[in-house]
Amino acid sequence: MTRPSLVERAARAVGRPALAAARATRDLWLVLVGVLAGVIRSYRPGGRRPPGALLEQLYVIGNRSLVFVAVTLGFIGMVMMYQACLQFSRAIGDLSQVGVQFLRLVVSDFGPTLTGMMLATRVGAGIAAEIGSMKVTEQLDALRMSGVLPIDYLLAPRFVASIVMTIALSLVGGAIMYGAGGLTAHLSFGVNPRTFFDPSLVLPRHLVLGLLKAACYGAAIPVVAGFCGLRARGSSEGVGWATTAAVVGSSFAVIAIDFALSVGALWLYGGEL
Amino acid sequence: MSGPTELAVELDDVGVELGGAALLTGVTLAIARGARVGIIGPAAAGKSLLVKVMAGLIPPTTGRLRLDGVDVTGWTEARLAPVRARIGMLFQNYALYDFLTVAGNVGFPLAQRGELPDAIAPKVRDRLRAVGLAGSEDKLPSQLSGGMKKRAGIARATIAAPDLVLYDEPTAGLDPVTTSKVYDLLRADHDASGATAIAVSSDVAGLCTFVDEVIFVYQGRLAYRGPTATLAEAPDARVRQFVSGALDGPLVG
Amino acid sequence: MLGERTLTQLGARALAVAREVGGIAILTGQVVRALVPPRLDGRELVRNLHRMGNRSLPIVALTAFFAGGLMVVQSAPFVNRLGATSLAGWAAGYAVLREIGPILIGLMFSGRVGANNTAELGTMTVTEQLDGLRALAIDPIRYLIVPRVLAMLIMLTALTILGDLIALAGAAVVAKLVIDIDWRTMYASFADNLTPTDFLHGVQKSVAFGAAIALSSCYFGVTVRGGAVGVGRAVNAAVVAAAVSIMLLDFFITYATA
Repeated sequence: MTRPSLVERAARAVGRPALAAARATRDLWLVLVGVLAGVIRSYRPGGRRPPGALLEQLYVIGNRSLVFVAVTLGFIGMVMMYQACLQFSRAIGDLSQVGVQFLRLVVSDFGPTLTGMMLATRVGAGIAAEIGSMKVTEQLDALRMSGVLPIDYLLAPRFVASIVMTIALSLVGGAIMYGAGGLTAHLSFGVNPRTFFDPSLVLPRHLVLGLLKAACYGAAIPVVAGFCGLRARGSSEGVGWATTAAVVGSSFAVIAIDFALSVGALWLYGGEL
Repeated sequence: MSGPTELAVELDDVGVELGGAALLTGVTLAIARGARVGIIGPAAAGKSLLVKVMAGLIPPTTGRLRLDGVDVTGWTEARLAPVRARIGMLFQNYALYDFLTVAGNVGFPLAQRGELPDAIAPKVRDRLRAVGLAGSEDKLPSQLSGGMKKRAGIARATIAAPDLVLYDEPTAGLDPVTTSKVYDLLRADHDASGATAIAVSSDVAGLCTFVDEVIFVYQGRLAYRGPTATLAEAPDARVRQFVSGALDGPLVG
Repeated sequence: MLGERTLTQLGARALAVAREVGGIAILTGQVVRALVPPRLDGRELVRNLHRMGNRSLPIVALTAFFAGGLMVVQSAPFVNRLGATSLAGWAAGYAVLREIGPILIGLMFSGRVGANNTAELGTMTVTEQLDGLRALAIDPIRYLIVPRVLAMLIMLTALTILGDLIALAGAAVVAKLVIDIDWRTMYASFADNLTPTDFLHGVQKSVAFGAAIALSSCYFGVTVRGGAVGVGRAVNAAVVAAAVSIMLLDFFITYATA
């Protein structure tokens, strides 16, 4: 056999990852379509759904993430407000605008996005670990042998629960972040709480944008994590790989969705946002 | 639903490729209804893959799969569901659902076809007693030993009175006494139901106490098929070496 | 009673957290002791640096770029209102260098390198490879853990420095494309308002984040129990612990250095 030419090797070096990426994109798309179809099949009136699964997932995804989200968002709220006050007092010398601007940002972005990042870590890794280990121990094949579609049975309830709970936790996380920020501004910089907690800059569209972001993150996390879990091969390495990929993939999905929706909203409303 | 032929499983020139590697090549075989067939062969020869193809879990890249005379090649999961309802399968790693109790696992196939809990419970109890797991209904799979997991898996595979049972490594990792018990159980099940039984095992001696016929798979190909009684005198030297465990011979690797 | 059950659960959870924190503290002690006197397997360190850097550079670069862009988009309404385009670079650059850059890069690094490290060590633990090392009288801490901890610490710091630059570039690109601020205004806004202190503030955080990610990922890796399921759970626990540590450290460092 002759050595492949430089061109051929270069083509292969580019072609193989490109092909793998194209295949992964197609598979991710198939999981998304499968989940949506599964949600409709399971949750339409009279649809067949695993009993109690939705409630259990609401608890696992929502309640069990509450402390995690509250702690992380509380601390980041304090830090952000601290840095913001430092800068505002240095550059503008007036802290009366800090609170209203902060609330606008928390509602339209920081609340849902940081909650989404935290849930991508916790929930994304959890779903991928669970489905990945079911895959490598042949439990998914066993489900199929009983005539059950694994995506309907496992991912549909997680998908619905994740959307509901990401929205709920974004509201809670945003509130904690805002409160922690207000406390910091008051204690460290003497900002009057009455000036700080002023919602006059927040418009309905900010809330709509924030909730839309939360819903999209909630939808993206189980789809990306489920996709990674379903791809797990081998044994413990496979599950470890799937979990790792799920954390990175769903975190990045949150950032990308945030960027797309933020730019879209800015284009829609311009400086009026 | 009765097919036009007496064949339970029919593979016609089946090949499976995964990621560019040929894992099964040109497998043609037919297994009659009610037969007891063992599949043996070295590690990674494609034995487990072969039974997964038979269950419709892995679609063949080339060739056809017929179950009870019906060509099911390329069927969707939804179309396969009623066919699979008539197949029971014991998985190599037990594949017990770790979120369900033993009773929940064993009753799962029945629950999925819409039977009510009140109807399922007595059947599960009977089946668990038959496999020697009476009293373990409320345990979780993680609380069972390897042999108990195998038996729970067998109970789940056979509870819905399937026409075809696929056993992937029913005795791997079990001690000799438990192994004998498991084969006794398989034999009793077969005598009672008359279902077609196909078992994959690396334990040739144990397997031969259960099956009437043996298929030898080697490097993704069906290399030999013959009755259990004459296995040690098989014309294929590779089979003789594999069965006897001799170090010298034509087997590679 | 519901209240009693909740309290019991809360107590069990608190004990578990205490056990994990204690375990990580012990591991930290072992790592530090293994470094005094500094006998280090240099080749293993370089190999880990290479591997971790290769693995995480693309995702870190992409994240940093988006993070910079996002900060510009978020500050746009404020900048528009004040009509001061010269402030766009200040707001975005300041947020990126001090907070968003180190935090997002840290979280991504934890997901990519930290989680992967937990999975690897976890697999080695469940397949009894660590016991194998001990049987050969090789100290797993010195041989496996120390090079990984140092490599993660160094690599995250380096990636944060690089990521800061990429994020500022991302901010400039998005400012140009989305709110039409030209490059020169953006550059001037960066140059006039950002100080080396801002930059170092973020970099020192990344050192601490790197240590936290490294230690928690190693701890959860070597304490895995129970096969494939256990490895998945350990990775999950490691990334959650890293995220909490990042937020707590961020808070304490911000206040301590103010």
